[in-house]
Amino acid sequence: MKTITVFDKPMCCSSGACGPSVDPVLAIFADDLRWLAAQGIQVKRHNPAQDASAFMCDAIILAAMKEVGEAALPVIVVDGQERSRQSYPARAEMAAWLGLTDASDPLTPPKSACCGTSGCC
Amino acid sequence: MPAVEPPAVADPAFVASPHPNIFFTGKGGVGKTTCACATAVLLARAGRKVLLVSTDPASNLDQVLGVSLGLEPVAIADVPGLSAMNLDPERAAAQYRERIVGPARGVLPESLVRSMEEQLSGACTVEIAAFDLFAGILAGETRPADVETVIFDTAPTGHTLRLLKLPAAWSDYLENNTTGNTCLGPLQGLKEKQQLYAEAVRVLAHPDLSEVILVSRPQAASLREAERTRRELADLGISRLHLVVNGLLPHGADPVAVSWTGRAAEAIANMAPQLASLPRTTVALNASAFQGIAALAGFFSSPVIAVPSDPIPYNPPLAASWDKLVDDLASIPCGMIMTMGKGGVGKTILAAKIAEALASRGIPVVLATTDPASHAAEACANRSIEVVSIDAAAETAAYREEVLASAGAGLDPEGRALLDEDLRSPCTEEIAVFRAFARIVQRGVGALVVCDTAPTGHTLLLLDATQAYHRELGRQTTTGVPECVLQLLPRLRDPAFNRVLIVTLPEATPVQEAGALEQDLARAGIRPHAWIINQALGLTRTLDPLLRAKAGQEDRWLRDVLVRPGRAYAIPWREDYLY
Repeated sequence: MKTITVFDKPMCCSSGACGPSVDPVLAIFADDLRWLAAQGIQVKRHNPAQDASAFMCDAIILAAMKEVGEAALPVIVVDGQERSRQSYPARAEMAAWLGLTDASDPLTPPKSACCGTSGCC
Repeated sequence: MPAVEPPAVADPAFVASPHPNIFFTGKGGVGKTTCACATAVLLARAGRKVLLVSTDPASNLDQVLGVSLGLEPVAIADVPGLSAMNLDPERAAAQYRERIVGPARGVLPESLVRSMEEQLSGACTVEIAAFDLFAGILAGETRPADVETVIFDTAPTGHTLRLLKLPAAWSDYLENNTTGNTCLGPLQGLKEKQQLYAEAVRVLAHPDLSEVILVSRPQAASLREAERTRRELADLGISRLHLVVNGLLPHGADPVAVSWTGRAAEAIANMAPQLASLPRTTVALNASAFQGIAALAGFFSSPVIAVPSDPIPYNPPLAASWDKLVDDLASIPCGMIMTMGKGGVGKTILAAKIAEALASRGIPVVLATTDPASHAAEACANRSIEVVSIDAAAETAAYREEVLASAGAGLDPEGRALLDEDLRSPCTEEIAVFRAFARIVQRGVGALVVCDTAPTGHTLLLLDATQAYHRELGRQTTTGVPECVLQLLPRLRDPAFNRVLIVTLPEATPVQEAGALEQDLARAGIRPHAWIINQALGLTRTLDPLLRAKAGQEDRWLRDVLVRPGRAYAIPWREDYLY
C-alpha cells in the first residue's frame, strides 16, 4: 500500500480549528487527505505539538530540521521519499506523486505548484 | 414569617456514611472550602484515608491548610490520614506540555520546540490538562491506592458544571471520530484515555460511588443557583445529592439583623421543591472564622453561635462612598468597566447597580457578563439597559457555522463533514467563548460596557488565553481574524479604555485573593482602576451583637485596603445587594 506522511507545523489541532482563526488552506488539505484515504492510500499525519516522537524517530524529517529548521514544515513524504517542504500541496500534485489518475477536483485551486522537491522556491 | 429551622447538631449523612467521591459545589463565597475541609477532618478522625483535592484555579485551600499544595498529594501534619492537592490548571498545563515537549529538547530545532510550547499554551491545553488529572484521580491510576474517600473542593458553579460535563463530552467526541486524527492527537494513542473518560462518566453517575454536596447561603440567589446545578447534574445522571445551607442567623436583635434573618427564612421557605426535598444540613452563622484546620471538626455540629460577651465598640475607618464611585466612573463615558474578584463578593450586583447609576446620568451603557452562571439580567432593575451575556452553547454553534461558511466554503460535502467533526471537539467552546468576549469588549468603542466577570480563577484563564492568542497572532497572517480579536489585549491594557474594579469583602480570604488578583493582572499588563470593599457591615451601624462582632473583624481588612496606593471605595452592607 502506498503511504503519504505529513509532518505538520506545530498546531493546536490539524484542522486549525483551535486557533484564533481557521486557515481555509488547512481545511482543504484535510479534505484532500480524506480523499486520498478513500482512494486506498495510507495517510499518516504528525503534529509535533501532539506526537513529537514521530519527528524524533524519522531520518528524513530530522535531516530537514537540521538543514532548514522549523521553516521546512510542513514536510510531505511519499513512500519514504521527501516530496515537498514549506507548503501544503494541492490534491492534483499529491495524486500525481501517488500515481493516482483522476484528481480533477474543480473546487481545489492549484496552489504553490512550483514548490516541489525541485528547490525552485 | 416562616419559622427558621434549628441548625444541625449531629454530623451530616455525607460524613456519617461517606461515598468514595464527595464533591462540594456552589456559588462563590458560600463556604465550599470550609465545608470540604470540615468533612475531610471529620472523616480522617474517624480513621479513613482521605484525599482533599481542589479543582478551583483560584483555590485558597493552601491558606486554610497552612501548607503549600501542588499537583502531588501532600500529607497534612495536623490531621493524620488526610492529604491534599491542588489541581492548578496552569501547573497542570505546564506538566502536560513538558511531557510532550521535554523529550524533543536538544533533538529538534530550538525554534520548533518553542513553537510546540506556544501551541500547547492555549485555553484548550489548559483545560484538557487539568481535566486529565481530574479524571485520573476520579477513575484512573493516579488515584492513590490507599485513599478511601476523595473530597473535591470545586470552583464556583459554572466552571464546575463544565468540568463534570467534560468526561461525557470527550468520550462522545472520541467515540464519534472517523478520521483517526483528533485534536488530542492520533486516535490510536488515545485508547487508554477513552477508557478513562468512559470510566469517569460511570463513576460520577454511580449513586454508590459519588455524592455531590450543594452548598448554599440562606439567600435566594444562592439557592436558585443550587437548584440550577441540581437540574444540570440530573441531566448528567448525577442524582446523589445533599444540600448544605450555610450561615444561618437564627434571630435578629436590631433592624439590620431582623432584615437579615427575615430574608433568609423567606429564601429557605421559597426554594424549589426538588431542592427542598434533598437531604439537608443547616449550619449556623459564626462570628469568627475558624482558626486552624483541626478546629473545623466542630463546623457542622456547633449549635450555639459564638457571640463575644462584650461586643467590640466599632467605628469604621471610612465612610460609605457610592456617589464618589459613580462620579469617578462617569468621568469617561465609554470603554469598559470590569468588576473582578473572588466568587460571592458581589461582582454581579455591583456591575448591575453601576450600570443603572451611569444610565441614569444619560451615559449609553451596556451591561455584560463573562460568567456562565451569571444572573446579571435579573440583577438589573432598569429594563432599558441592554444586557449581553455569553451563552457558550449558542456561541459554539454560531462559531461552527461561521467557520463552515468561511473556511469550509471551498469544500465538497465530505470535506465539510470532516471540518464539522473537528469543530465538534469540546475545545471549540473555549475559542467560541473567547471570541464572544472580544466582541463584548468591542462594544466599548461606542458605549460604556459594564462587565461582570466570572470568579477570579477563570477570569485569569481568560486573560491568559487572550495573551496566548495575541502571541499567536504575532506569528501568523491575520487575514480572517476579526478586528475585535486583534484589538482585544491592547484594549484591556489601556487604562483609559478599560477600568478594572477589584471587588472584595472586608474579610480575610477575599482581601488576600484580591491582592493576588492585582499581582496576576499586573503580569498581564493590566493595572486596576480601584478597589471596592463591598458589604461592609460596620457602615450599617448595626447594634445586633453577632453582627457587631462580625463588623469589628472587618476593621483590619478595611484598613488593609485603605493603606494601598490607588483608589478605594466602600459600600455598606445591604440585604438587597447580597450577590
